[in-house]
Amino acid sequence: MTGKRTRLEAFQAYLYLSPSALIFLAFTLLPAFYVLYIGLFNWNFLNTSMSKFVGFSNYTALLKSPELWHSLIATFYFVLGSVPVGIFAALFIALLLMRPFRGLGLVRLMFFAPYVTPVVSTSIVWLWLFNPQFGLFNAILHFLHLPQIGWVQSARWAMPSVILYTLWHTMGFNIIIFMAGLTTIPSELGEVARIDGASAWQEFWHVTWPLLTPTTLFVTVINTIGALQAFTQFFTLTNGGPAGSTTTASFLLFQQAFVFYHTGYAAALAVLLFIIIAALTLVQMRVSRSEAY
Amino acid sequence: MKINRKLKTLSAFAAAALALSLTVAGCGTAPNPGTTANSGGPVTISFAETMVSGTQKSALDHLISQFESKHSNIKVTLMPEPNYGVLQQKEVAAVAAKNPPTIGQVYEDWAADFAKSGAIIPLDSYIKGKDGFSPKEIADFVPTIWKDQQLPDGKTWMLPFNKSDFVMYYNADKMKQLNKTAPQTWNDFATAAQAATSGANNSWGLTIDPGTPTAPANGTYLWISVLRSNGGHLYANGKIAFNSAQGVQTMQLFKDLYSAGALKLGSNYPGETALGAQRSLFDMSTVASYPYVLHAVNKKFNLKIAALPSGSAGQGNIMQGTNIAIFSRTTAAQKQAAWQFIKFLTEPQQTAYWAQQTGYLPIRTSALPLMKAYLDSHPYQKIAADSLQYAKAQPPVPGMQQAVGYIGDAITRVLTQKVPVQQALDQAASKAQQALASAQ
Repeated sequence: MTGKRTRLEAFQAYLYLSPSALIFLAFTLLPAFYVLYIGLFNWNFLNTSMSKFVGFSNYTALLKSPELWHSLIATFYFVLGSVPVGIFAALFIALLLMRPFRGLGLVRLMFFAPYVTPVVSTSIVWLWLFNPQFGLFNAILHFLHLPQIGWVQSARWAMPSVILYTLWHTMGFNIIIFMAGLTTIPSELGEVARIDGASAWQEFWHVTWPLLTPTTLFVTVINTIGALQAFTQFFTLTNGGPAGSTTTASFLLFQQAFVFYHTGYAAALAVLLFIIIAALTLVQMRVSRSEAY
Repeated sequence: MKINRKLKTLSAFAAAALALSLTVAGCGTAPNPGTTANSGGPVTISFAETMVSGTQKSALDHLISQFESKHSNIKVTLMPEPNYGVLQQKEVAAVAAKNPPTIGQVYEDWAADFAKSGAIIPLDSYIKGKDGFSPKEIADFVPTIWKDQQLPDGKTWMLPFNKSDFVMYYNADKMKQLNKTAPQTWNDFATAAQAATSGANNSWGLTIDPGTPTAPANGTYLWISVLRSNGGHLYANGKIAFNSAQGVQTMQLFKDLYSAGALKLGSNYPGETALGAQRSLFDMSTVASYPYVLHAVNKKFNLKIAALPSGSAGQGNIMQGTNIAIFSRTTAAQKQAAWQFIKFLTEPQQTAYWAQQTGYLPIRTSALPLMKAYLDSHPYQKIAADSLQYAKAQPPVPGMQQAVGYIGDAITRVLTQKVPVQQALDQAASKAQQALASAQ
């Protein structure tokens, strides 16, 4: 009787899950496996019957090509430039925003607002801020009697410019998560530390920071994955240029697949990127497990 | 009881969601309006295009209604796309889904890709057929434009639609102040651009967008025009050829101007903005961008237009704009109707009307007398039409768009990263050659 009932409940559960499961299957899982398949072909996008099976030669071509290594360097430049700075700045701001002061709500809103804006539209606004001849940033540099730079037009400054935009855009999310993490820390622990004569720094370093580890880890993982996959801001701000300086691995993937229609090659790159992201995430999880309280 | 009802509602919702997801998944295979077979009765042809706004849209609508009134059994439905990038993606996706439109606007290298995969049909049998073109009519096409319809295999795969080429826009008031006239040669141009350059006035000669391999831009097309005026080639004897002595000469001109502060880099049509803001003296762009330049200038000064200056080997220019191709996965009746329609668009009356409405160039020589009054009041159109004889499109080879993009990278590297000219050009040429090889 109960077995029947459980089975019925299970059946109903599967039934309710089926729409989203089906969507997930059709639009995420199946295409993912299809990518594995395409990666083994010299794929003809226009006429699939003209595709040729080439085994792993897309992978060997990819590993031999300087553009892959160049794009991975650009990717890690972006990750290292945006993730650690973004996390520490967000933590610092979150700590400040935890203290009550006048206009706190407004300031919180100010930091969070960029996150809810669409990347495409705000990056077009930033494109004008970055404009070397007519933009606000160079006007500020000029006003401060500092040398003006080419921002997104310069191979040297394009990546820092994209990082600056990305920090502005994602900061709000990180701050909110840190603030949520900070509220879960019982205030008694801080009080005890202060009674024992801990300075503000000691309290942060020995109480807050260790207890915040799960939050920090979550933010790190989410930000790293986000940065590894970042695409839209590169598409709108730099198109991978100038001179390839902002062609990250995910931009290269788009370029190869949907601009040059090197579909098989791009599929191989997608698989490689998947492996890299999965491996990095695994490492971060491992590190966390050994350090988390 | 209550729970039961809730469950029922949920089940109904689940079923509805399931149905919805199936419909969504099925959407990709819904037939285009044009592909349903219509043998015997009226024929519908679909046209994938980007003429979605302003006079371009109204002029195309007008031509279609004229055509439909002459051919009562043919109906033309438009499949408008916002820009060429999206148009290409939609056409490629439609071909991949085995459900293409009947006809579509194509650039030469898209056509080369489509032809290679059998996605479009050669038009030679139609041209020679009873509804085709006489030798006299063929001779009436602007020769460079007629040649543009062929791929390297010698077959004609397209008919011309919206063609344009590069012209030089300049601030005539400023030119007068500098005591100069419109430059006739690139050396004159360099002198004028440097004369206009002043740190105190925050002014310079020209702003260009070199673009990237993902999206080649006007700076690269200008570079190709200068290269050709110096006697160089983008592509010769089946190989990339822009890293020649003429290529070096061309890049040196850009480098010297940049070092002198007379040339600046930007993105998003920066030439228009800088000319309009009275910062730069020139803008080099296609004649089709005239309305945009006019808007940027906004009557702040006297805007004038001249042909591109000439180089050591004469004039050089790059033909822009698209042609129309017929997709292969369509019925014979649709192909015949499509042929009649695209042929109709190229006839002198229609191309003259199209040119006067949109600012694109007339593609037939005999259209010029039909639009004499217009050319008298729009002298820049005559300048651009005359330049067509020097204008060649990007070579119609698969992968050429990507190959050309590396020129933009070379410009950026020479100008901003101090890479030696020959080295930058050689590296770009080798990447470009690879791009062509991998597109074969």
